[in-house]
Amino acid sequence: MKNYLPIALALTTIAFTSCEDDDPVITDGGTDIEVTAPATYSFERDGESTVSFSGQTTRIQMAQELVSEMSDFDNATLASLSNMFSNEENPFENEDLNASDKSIKSKVAASTDYYAGDASGSATVKAFFEARLADQVNEVFPAQNTVAEAGVAGQIADGESTRYVNAQGFEYNQIVAKGLIGALMIDQALNNYLGTAVLDEATNVEDNDNGVVVEGKSYTNMEHKWDEAFGYLYGNAADAANANATAGTDDNFLNKYLGRVEGDEDFAGIAQEVFDAFKLGRAAIVAGDYELRDEQAEILRTRLSEVVGIRAVYYLQQGKNAIEAGDYGAAFHDLSEGFGFVYSLQFTRNPNTDAPYLSTEEVNAFISQLTADNGLWDVTPETLDAISTAIAAQFDFTVTQAGS
Amino acid sequence: MKRIFGILAISLFIYACGGDDTTVSTDDTDTVTPVTFDRSAMLTNWADNIIIPGYQDFVAKVNTLEAQVASFTDTPNDLTAVRAAWLDAYTTWQRVSMFEVGPAETVNLRLNVNIYPANVATIEDNITAGSYNLDLSSNRAAKGFPAIDYLLYGLGEDDAAILAIYNGTNGDAYKQYLLDITADMKTLSTTVFNEWEGDYKETFVANDGASATASTDRFVNDYIFYFEKHLRAGKMGIPGGVFSGSVEPNNIEALYAGGISKDLFIVGLNATQDFFNGKAYNSSAQGESLASYLDELNAIKDGADLSEIINSQFDVSRTVVSALGNFEQELAINPPTNFLNAYDEVQRLVPLLKVDMVSAMSISIDFADADGD
Repeated sequence: MKNYLPIALALTTIAFTSCEDDDPVITDGGTDIEVTAPATYSFERDGESTVSFSGQTTRIQMAQELVSEMSDFDNATLASLSNMFSNEENPFENEDLNASDKSIKSKVAASTDYYAGDASGSATVKAFFEARLADQVNEVFPAQNTVAEAGVAGQIADGESTRYVNAQGFEYNQIVAKGLIGALMIDQALNNYLGTAVLDEATNVEDNDNGVVVEGKSYTNMEHKWDEAFGYLYGNAADAANANATAGTDDNFLNKYLGRVEGDEDFAGIAQEVFDAFKLGRAAIVAGDYELRDEQAEILRTRLSEVVGIRAVYYLQQGKNAIEAGDYGAAFHDLSEGFGFVYSLQFTRNPNTDAPYLSTEEVNAFISQLTADNGLWDVTPETLDAISTAIAAQFDFTVTQAGS
Repeated sequence: MKRIFGILAISLFIYACGGDDTTVSTDDTDTVTPVTFDRSAMLTNWADNIIIPGYQDFVAKVNTLEAQVASFTDTPNDLTAVRAAWLDAYTTWQRVSMFEVGPAETVNLRLNVNIYPANVATIEDNITAGSYNLDLSSNRAAKGFPAIDYLLYGLGEDDAAILAIYNGTNGDAYKQYLLDITADMKTLSTTVFNEWEGDYKETFVANDGASATASTDRFVNDYIFYFEKHLRAGKMGIPGGVFSGSVEPNNIEALYAGGISKDLFIVGLNATQDFFNGKAYNSSAQGESLASYLDELNAIKDGADLSEIINSQFDVSRTVVSALGNFEQELAINPPTNFLNAYDEVQRLVPLLKVDMVSAMSISIDFADADGD
C-alpha cells in the first residue's frame, strides 16, 4: 500500500535544492523567472481551485447579523446578541451560519502572535464585546423613547437619522462594529495568518515545497493560511478573484474602510496595493519563495494597520468639527465610530517592531479621555486633537491627511 | 505517511544546510560543531530509570485499584477505599501519560484510559444494555479513569445515593461495568509494561540516531505534543475557555470527584519537568536528559542557558498554578483572570520547548494545530 518512490524522489530533490540561495527567482530551463502575481486571486492545482476561505466569509456574515441585531429594539435580547456572538442556540437568520461550527467569539483577540501567551488579555477583549452587547440591551433599549442628554441615555437626531446613545453619548453598535474590525479581522489576518508562526508551523514549509496538500483538500496548509488572511478582507466579495473591483462595498468591516481610505485622495492606490500584495504573496507561496511572501506580509501589515489608524483619526476629526459646530448628533455618531477604531488600534501590527502601532495601554488611556465624566457630552476639541496627533505620530500620515 | 515524509524532508533539509540561523545559538562561532552528545545514554536513562519504573508503578496501582473494585463490588457499603485506589492510580497515570510512544501508541493507551469528560450517556446505555465491546473506539469516552470518576462520585447526590444504586435493582450491572472497565485498564497497561520489559526497550535504545524516525526525535515530538495538547490545553486551556472563548468548567479532569483537577495538573507538570531533567522515577538521581543535551549543545537564549530558562519557567508555572484555588473555584469567576494568567505561564513553556529546544536539537515538529478557519 505504501509507495515510497515519490518520497525518495522528493527527498532527492530536496537534497539537491535545499541549499539554493533565497533569491526570489525560479529557475526554468536556465532562465531566471521572477515570481509574478497573476491578474486575479486565482490559483489552481490539477485544474482545481486551491483558494478557500469559507470560515472567514462565515464570520463576516455573522458579524453583519450581530451588528444589525443590536439595532433591533423590538426583537433583540441579551440572549439573542450573546448567542450570535458565540453561535449558540441557532441565533442567526441565515441557517448556514447556524449550521457552522465557527463563531465570532472564538476568533476575537485570538491570534497566535499576540494572544497565544495572553489568555487573560484575550478573555478581557472578549468580555469587552460581551459587556457592550449587554449595555445595549440594558441601557439603550429601555431609553428608546427618551431624549438623550448629558448623563441620560436615549435618542439624538443626526440630520435625518436618529442615533441611540448611552448616557455618555456613545452608540454601542458602532463601538462593536468598528471594534471587531481590529479584534477579529485585523488581529486574525495580520497577527495570525500572515505570521510565520502560523504559515511555517510544523511541516508546512516542507509540505508546501513538495506540493503535499491537506488531506482531502486541493491546497497546501500554507496556501490555505494565506487565503484565510485574504478572507478576512475579501471574504464577502461577490467575486473574490477580482475582489478589488468591489473593494469597499462587500461588507461593513475592514473591506468597507479600505474602500473609504481609497476614496481619500491622500491615500488613493492603497486598495490596489493591498490586493496586489495578497496576490503576489500567494504566488510566492506557490513558487516556494518565502522571502518574497514575507515582504508582501509586511506590506499588508503596514497598509491594513494604516486603514485603522487613518479611520480613527478621520472620525475623531470629523467629530471634533461637529462638536465645534454644535451638532452633537453628528458628533456622537462619528466619535462612536472613532472609539471603535481607536479600540482596534491595539490589534494593528507594525512590521518594524512586530507590536501594535499603539499598545493596549495607550489605547486605554485614549478611552479614558473619551469616557471621562459625561463622555462625549464633555469631550473637548483639544482632547480630540491631542488623541489624533498621538495616533498619527505612530504612522506615516498626518492628522490633516487622515482627517478629511 | 505524510507525517513521516515531512519529518524526513525537514531533517534532510537541516542536514543539507547545516546550522540555520535561529534565535537559539548552539555555538559561539559560525562553524558547525559536531554533536558529541550520547543520545543512546539518554534513551537508556529514559527507558531504565523513568519509563519502565513509571509503568511498573502504574500497573501496580491499577492492580490495587482492581482489587479494591473487586472488594467494593463484593460488598458495596463503603466507597472510601476504592476511591483512594482510583485517585492513587489516576495520580500515577499523570506521570506516565506522556510516554505515548511505541507500545502505548500501538494500543492508544491515553485515548483508552483518559478521555474526559466521560460520556455519561454511553456509560448508562452500556450498563442498561448489559453487553458492550470496550475495544470499540466509540466506547473510549465511556471507560478509563473518567468513567470510574463518574461511577464512584457522579451516580448520585451523595454517598448514600451512590451506594443505593450499587445495592439497587440494577446494581449488578453497575458493578459488572466497574469491574469490566477496570479490567480493561489493567489489560492495556500491563500490555504496555510487558512490551517495554520485553523487546521494546532494546528497539527503543538501539534506534539512537538523529533521523526523524529515531527514538529521540519521535519521543521529543510526543513529549511536546503531550505538554501542549494534553497538559496545557486539556487540563487548563479548554476548561478555561482559551480556545472557545467561553469557560467550560464541565471539561475539567476528574469532574465528579471535585477539587482534584489542579492536583492532577501539578503532578503532570512535575512529571514533564522531571522528564526534561532526566530525573529517575521516584528518586532524585539524574541521568542524561533533554536538559543535559541542551547543555551539551551549549544552547543559549538571550544570554542564558536554555535549559535553565526552561526549568525556571517550569518553576514559575508550578508556583502560579499552585497559588490558585482549586480549578472549580477559579472557573466560577468570569472571566477567570487568575486562572488564565496561570495558564499563560504554562503556555510560555510551549515555544521554549517547541521552537527553541527542538531547533537547538535539529528536531522537526511533526504536528500542527488544526484549529484554523
